Amino acid sequence: MANAADAHAHDDHGDHYPGFFSRWFCSTNHKDIGTVYMFVSMFAALVGGGMSWFMRLELAEPGLQYLTGGAPDMQFYNVLLTAHGFLMVFFVVMPALIGGFGNWFVPLMIGAPDMAFPRMNNISLWLLIAGLALLLISAFVGSGVGTGWTVYPPLSSSIYHPGAAVDFGILSLHLAGASSILGAINFIVTIFNMRAPGMTLHKMPLFVWSILVTAFLLLLALPVLAGALTMLLTDRNFGTAFFDPAAGGDPVLWQHLFWFFGHPEVYIIILPAFGLISQIVSTFSKKPVFGYLGMAYAMVAIGVVGFVVWAHHMYTVGLDVDTRAYFTAATLVIAVPTGVKIFSWLATMWGGSIEFKTPMLYAFGFIFLFVMGGVTGVTLANSSADLVFHDTYFVVAHFHYVMAIAAIFAMFAGWYYWIGKMSGKQYNETLGKIQFWMFFVGVNILFFPQHFAGLAGMPRRIPDYPDAYAGWNYVSSVGALITAVGTMLFFWILYRTYAAGTKAEQNPWGEGATTLEWHVPSPAPFHTFEDQPDMSGKQPAE
Amino acid sequence: MAKPQQKDARRNVRTALACASLVAGMVGLAYASVPLYKLFCQVTGLGGTPGIEAAAPEQATDIDFTVRFDANINPTLPWTFKPVQRAVNLKLGEEGLAFYTATNNSDHPITGTATFNVTPLKIGQYFVKIDCFCFTEQTLQPGETVDMPVTFYVDPEIRQDRSTEEVTTITLSYTFYPKKSETDGQVSALKQKSTPVDIGG
Ligand code: HEM
Ligand SMILES: [Cu+2]
Repeated sequence: MANAADAHAHDDHGDHYPGFFSRWFCSTNHKDIGTVYMFVSMFAALVGGGMSWFMRLELAEPGLQYLTGGAPDMQFYNVLLTAHGFLMVFFVVMPALIGGFGNWFVPLMIGAPDMAFPRMNNISLWLLIAGLALLLISAFVGSGVGTGWTVYPPLSSSIYHPGAAVDFGILSLHLAGASSILGAINFIVTIFNMRAPGMTLHKMPLFVWSILVTAFLLLLALPVLAGALTMLLTDRNFGTAFFDPAAGGDPVLWQHLFWFFGHPEVYIIILPAFGLISQIVSTFSKKPVFGYLGMAYAMVAIGVVGFVVWAHHMYTVGLDVDTRAYFTAATLVIAVPTGVKIFSWLATMWGGSIEFKTPMLYAFGFIFLFVMGGVTGVTLANSSADLVFHDTYFVVAHFHYVMAIAAIFAMFAGWYYWIGKMSGKQYNETLGKIQFWMFFVGVNILFFPQHFAGLAGMPRRIPDYPDAYAGWNYVSSVGALITAVGTMLFFWILYRTYAAGTKAEQNPWGEGATTLEWHVPSPAPFHTFEDQPDMSGKQPAE
Repeated sequence: MAKPQQKDARRNVRTALACASLVAGMVGLAYASVPLYKLFCQVTGLGGTPGIEAAAPEQATDIDFTVRFDANINPTLPWTFKPVQRAVNLKLGEEGLAFYTATNNSDHPITGTATFNVTPLKIGQYFVKIDCFCFTEQTLQPGETVDMPVTFYVDPEIRQDRSTEEVTTITLSYTFYPKKSETDGQVSALKQKSTPVDIGG
């Protein structure tokens, strides 16, 4: 952060920067807030990543090697697993893609001077940081939160998780949720009301479209999670029985509510990635995106259909066969707009003069991983097949490909694409490419073998396993090691960029980069577009 | 310049309020889903929720059917709870009667309630209860044993439904719990032990 501050401070665009404390702690500037979001995300990524590497270390061989303090502590594994899931979903991917890139580039791309409610923007940021603190504290309260990120009762009820840890976890998610809801409102108001004259909705860059759709998903999904979490909180502490069958409740109701939020949540994570990848593919193919309107409305369609497929996570709870048939069919329908996106990216590249800079490599990587995960997703959508795959490592492999690692690839793509604009310094292209190949090879060695372990029946959420699964687990852990080295290399590149990067040009990518952020200097000055540009008569700026 | 800016600000607040009411509406829906969900299960019989009627149909069929009985007990309830008969053979549409027996093994009176369902889950809507001990709370004195009746019938419609026509045996299952307010003491006793229930390994 200090580096970021310096990088800005040495520029003289005639802007007046506030002092260090008021600039970074009380910021109302969309760029500074975006920058802090990025660093919060990176911090959480190191913690959440550290936990995952520790889990992979333990899983490298059968038996318990590192979880043997006193009595073999399975609860500790569960705590790591839960914190890893929460951290990655709520405090790494969402802050980076929505809070970080969204804050930075939505106002720039629509030619607005800032977000609609700059102070509320600051509140969002600090609610998130408070949520992160509560989550980290929860790991040290009693025996921690070992519920998995799905928090199913009765495991999460007071019988199996007495003590305050789960209550801390619930409050943490409440804060993170409130932060996201305020942020979403801010984005919607900004995008609807503050576009430059002449920039109609149908001319907005696809990244802005993706944030708009995501913001609506947040508004519709997060309150349901908040409601369910509150019911769980009162069940645990105030004698209500929403999920307690002893007094007429039903634990399966939790699953319905959780997944009504949970499935849209995976689109909340991946839609901003879609938007970002569209910008990058277009820039480095030096062509406008193929089928712009189709791309925009495919995201809308994915968002809408995403709300009626939730029970594909619940095929094993005893749904009757007609219900399962419906959820299978509805889930398969989502493959259609998703296919529109994939084929439009390919069509954009087709015949373009493609430049393989690091962001484009990551965009390729994203498409590859997303398609891989999509194929296993279509498999899992079939309720009859899922009865077998449910809760095995096949599912772990699937969602890491389609959502987790794909989102990380989009984050890297966005970072390499925009770091010149954000910091005024350009990264080292050779190191960037090495980092991409390390990461790409690493994650595939890490997650591909998990398909095989899962098909062979290895359950998820276990710290130990029968010897039969030893081979692929070892390979997977080697992949985790390569991924960890790739991650460290990224932080080295980040440090070198801020410390000794070459001066970034206003537009380092040439004719393909047409959106408005490339029309302001690098780094983007503290205040931009005080006078809004006139966009009438211009092409859609994808 | 001041004028249009004020107008913008008001427009922004209006959009934000519209968003906020959407959020409030969704929180409301989350809570509304609780009664709706129960209603849904009762109406459709999904998840093995049996129906309730005042009496069996006038005319029974001559199709044979078997109903089996299962009993479970929450570990915090110091009772013994068993079906008196393992199974009953009856005709579709015929009224059946079965007994469960429960004993309070503790030295104080305890009130319990029973939850119930039937398997296969898909036949919930065709299993109909006429009267059942599970409709009310049961209080047992120390050492007391009671026989508790349940009357029911199986709706002959079960043979008209393509997805249930092959079923010839169903299992009626009960789980007895201490009444919620009576468990609170036990739960807080559990809470005092700082480690959760042993999760194996
Ligand atoms: C750095 C690379 C990563 C590694 C090595 C890794 C590893 C793991 C491992 C070992 C598990 C536990 C599997 C089990 O025991 O069932 C897991 C679960 C999980 N991971 Fe990751 N992961 C990584 C990245 C991510 C990312 C980026 C995300 C999300 C955006 C993510 C989301 C999750 C979720 C949601 C779970 C499930 C937690 C649960 O079962 O409650 N992971 N991961
Ligand atoms: Cu889903």
